[in-house]
Amino acid sequence: MEPKELLEICDRLIEQARSAGADEVEAVAASGRSVETHLEKNDIHIAQTGTETSFGLRVFCGERVGFVTANDVGERATAASAAEAIAQAHVSPPDPLAGLPDPEPVIEIPGMYREDLASLSVADTTRLAADMIARVSARDRRVNIDSGTLSVSVSSSAITSTRGVRASERETSADFYLFGMAVDGDDVASFDYDTETSRDRGALDDLFAQTADRFTDKCVAGLGARKGESFRGGVVLSPDAVFELIVPNLINAVCANSVRKGRSMLAEKLGHTIAAACFSLTDDATIPGGAGSSAFDREGVPTRRSSIVDAGVLRTFLWNHYEARAAGGDARSTGHASGGVGTLPGIGPSSLDVAAGETKFEDLLHPDSRTILVNRFSGSVNGVNGDFSGVVKNGALLGAGDPVAIKETMIAGNLFSLLKNISAMSRRRKTIGGTRTAPYIRVEDVSVTAG
Amino acid sequence: MEHAADNAREILEQAAAGYDGFVELRYHDKLTRSVAVEKGKVESTGQRSRMGVGVRVLAQGAWGLASTGALELGGIRRAVQQAHAAALAGAGMRKNKVQTPAAADLARGSFDQPGVDEILSRPLADKIALAMRIEEKIRGGAQAINSASCWYNEIFENKAIVTSDGASASFRLVRPEIRLSAIAEKDGELSTGNESFGVTGGWECLFRNGEGEYFADRAAKTATDLLGASGAEGGRATVILAPSIVGLLVHEAIGHTVEADFVLSGSVAAGKIGQRVASELVTLCDSGASEFYDGAGGTIPVDDEGVIAGKTEIIKEGILRSYLHNRESAAHFGVAPTGNARAWEYADQPLIRMRNTYMQPGTWSLEEMIATTQDGYLLEGPRNGQADATGEFMFGVQEARRIRDGKLSELVKGVTLSGIAFEVLGTVDAVSDTFKWDLGSGYCGKGQPAKVDAGGPYVRCRAVLGGAQ
Repeated sequence: MEPKELLEICDRLIEQARSAGADEVEAVAASGRSVETHLEKNDIHIAQTGTETSFGLRVFCGERVGFVTANDVGERATAASAAEAIAQAHVSPPDPLAGLPDPEPVIEIPGMYREDLASLSVADTTRLAADMIARVSARDRRVNIDSGTLSVSVSSSAITSTRGVRASERETSADFYLFGMAVDGDDVASFDYDTETSRDRGALDDLFAQTADRFTDKCVAGLGARKGESFRGGVVLSPDAVFELIVPNLINAVCANSVRKGRSMLAEKLGHTIAAACFSLTDDATIPGGAGSSAFDREGVPTRRSSIVDAGVLRTFLWNHYEARAAGGDARSTGHASGGVGTLPGIGPSSLDVAAGETKFEDLLHPDSRTILVNRFSGSVNGVNGDFSGVVKNGALLGAGDPVAIKETMIAGNLFSLLKNISAMSRRRKTIGGTRTAPYIRVEDVSVTAG
Repeated sequence: MEHAADNAREILEQAAAGYDGFVELRYHDKLTRSVAVEKGKVESTGQRSRMGVGVRVLAQGAWGLASTGALELGGIRRAVQQAHAAALAGAGMRKNKVQTPAAADLARGSFDQPGVDEILSRPLADKIALAMRIEEKIRGGAQAINSASCWYNEIFENKAIVTSDGASASFRLVRPEIRLSAIAEKDGELSTGNESFGVTGGWECLFRNGEGEYFADRAAKTATDLLGASGAEGGRATVILAPSIVGLLVHEAIGHTVEADFVLSGSVAAGKIGQRVASELVTLCDSGASEFYDGAGGTIPVDDEGVIAGKTEIIKEGILRSYLHNRESAAHFGVAPTGNARAWEYADQPLIRMRNTYMQPGTWSLEEMIATTQDGYLLEGPRNGQADATGEFMFGVQEARRIRDGKLSELVKGVTLSGIAFEVLGTVDAVSDTFKWDLGSGYCGKGQPAKVDAGGPYVRCRAVLGGAQ
């Protein structure tokens, strides 16, 4: 469906909810068409097409709120959903902070929709997928693609509210994901994966080929692993590990709902140093053609670029409209209301960027002291107090020579201590899935346990 | 959504009759309702509904999948055509042609599970009141508690599955679940206590042991007790795993490696059928039914290929006996399908997934197991878990109680448990005579979620704890 049709559905939902007794209403709708090819066991597994249109309806009866989402946009179905949302609101306790944002000008982000990408068929995704299988096999036959997906989607979204919010946009996206491992006789390496996203048809073949090469090399690097060593000392986190261990848990601690609910160790740290001075983190949903870009958030508030940590200092929390009201004072939504039509607005980032450091990547790989490289982290992090413990995946012992692959090695520590123990960051960075960019980061004083 | 699945079967059968080849049609109406309460306040209530028909076609040795969001014959027939076209697009590129799906015990008829009407008819206000009562109970559990939450969720599923080779089944089921969280604070230190439980069944089944209040107390106590607790020493240790951790072990560390699609990709279980992979005390199963007692959270009567979801003995007395199959992998291995094909929603393809996975109880009492452990840990409370192609697994554990000289000693902070699955199972030297399903609120992720359950007895073995050096 086109954005115009989705706006009409939203308008109808608002009218039906108002007629049924709602005081304020927010309606969001989304429609998507996708073609995708799934891979399994180094082969094409299944080719798939799909379309779906769905909506989310948030109603306010005084200070009481109800929410319904469904994928039937017929007139009778939306009327029934409006009635259900209002019935829900009537039995929910009042919340004095409940409310909707006022409209603000939304600026369209260029490069979000590409007709040449939208025109790709399931035959095209299947051909591209077959090319990627052949490329992985040609690069190293020991690598097994366990599963993977190559998909192209065309989607539209729209939001309207009784406060006057009215916005819509349309986008195209191509996504590629590979998951598997290298097997050489009895030597089975750890799983690894790689992923890429693009809105640019012209760049697709090269980008996906690079992804296939990276995936292959990462899988093969895990072969021949030997048991590691136990010590307390330095670790180098790859960009993937940075986004498995550090960033998501840091983001969790700076979301305003975590702060309000007493779930954040950073609740009193705004303006304070929370990390080494070399560490800076931004979120930006306004990058032209960016995979994580969007002109407006889940509540219709315009998105923006936010400096979250600057030279180690915590600069802002992430707010949606509700949390800004709860915080009071000068707090305003930072355009970080997350989620889609199927959920109530949450809080979350769009496109995260950890600034580059000043150390040569090669120097990080050849440290003077005992150090391990953590290519992936498979573990658990306590989202409240930051304690973490987990297994190093596709790790390596670093030294003067080539990295030596290790297995059955665990690391443990605390996230908030770790942020302050960052000692170096690489100039080289990697972007993961189009929305997460980071350098390699060296951290001191981590417990490393070999099994 | 009531009784729509029986009507859906008739429409799906008409659509299947019009296709010359193998086609599988799946009507799936999923309704989810939830209530979230935190710090004495209702954070959200919501209802999510997704309904449609997924169509999978096998043409020229390749699969094609399409879907429609309406239960209407014309739309379903168009989806069949689209799935056929998608299959042909893949057929030219596919190296190994898909064989005819293996013959199976295909389901015909209605297989409704209990509890649906009971939970559907219970007013939302009751569920809000329940969540508020439990959350209040957690906050009142200890003075150090500064935040608590309770999340109630119920998933109704209404399904019909028809295949061109004879399956024609429908069923309704409901899965209510509850998650609790307590956060304690002292001198700037925060600690957490999390509990959860869920069933396939009604309200009475969910609360048959009054578990709301019990778990509220436990969450508050865990959060408070962990304040000031020290960390575990890293290294290999003797551990007694509680049923919830045993559930994680059998699901993550073993279950995934014996899913036939992983086996064909080269998992460590490949080629090991008939070989010893565990101590003779270990017998491990996966079942579509709720063995031992009702309510296991991954229960399905029929899988999404229309196969009766029976019980599979994966390991018997330490010997690997079977992988978990869909109809395609069963044909490849020349065995009967095990009813493990599952799709999360109507537009998703069925994948090989576990259902209720468990270890059989043994003969020890927990007291005997502790008394005969000189130096070790009793591990309880699962957090997350993952496993690797190598068989290496990782589980987060909420609390670890030190065992010294055969007695329970101090509490240490949550740890991560790791090891190589078959090696760890080889060290099992004691299995308790009790049994508990304990992951009923669990979801498994494999490209798409799946509701699963897992459990077992208490089990003693050796594994690696991540901790301080």
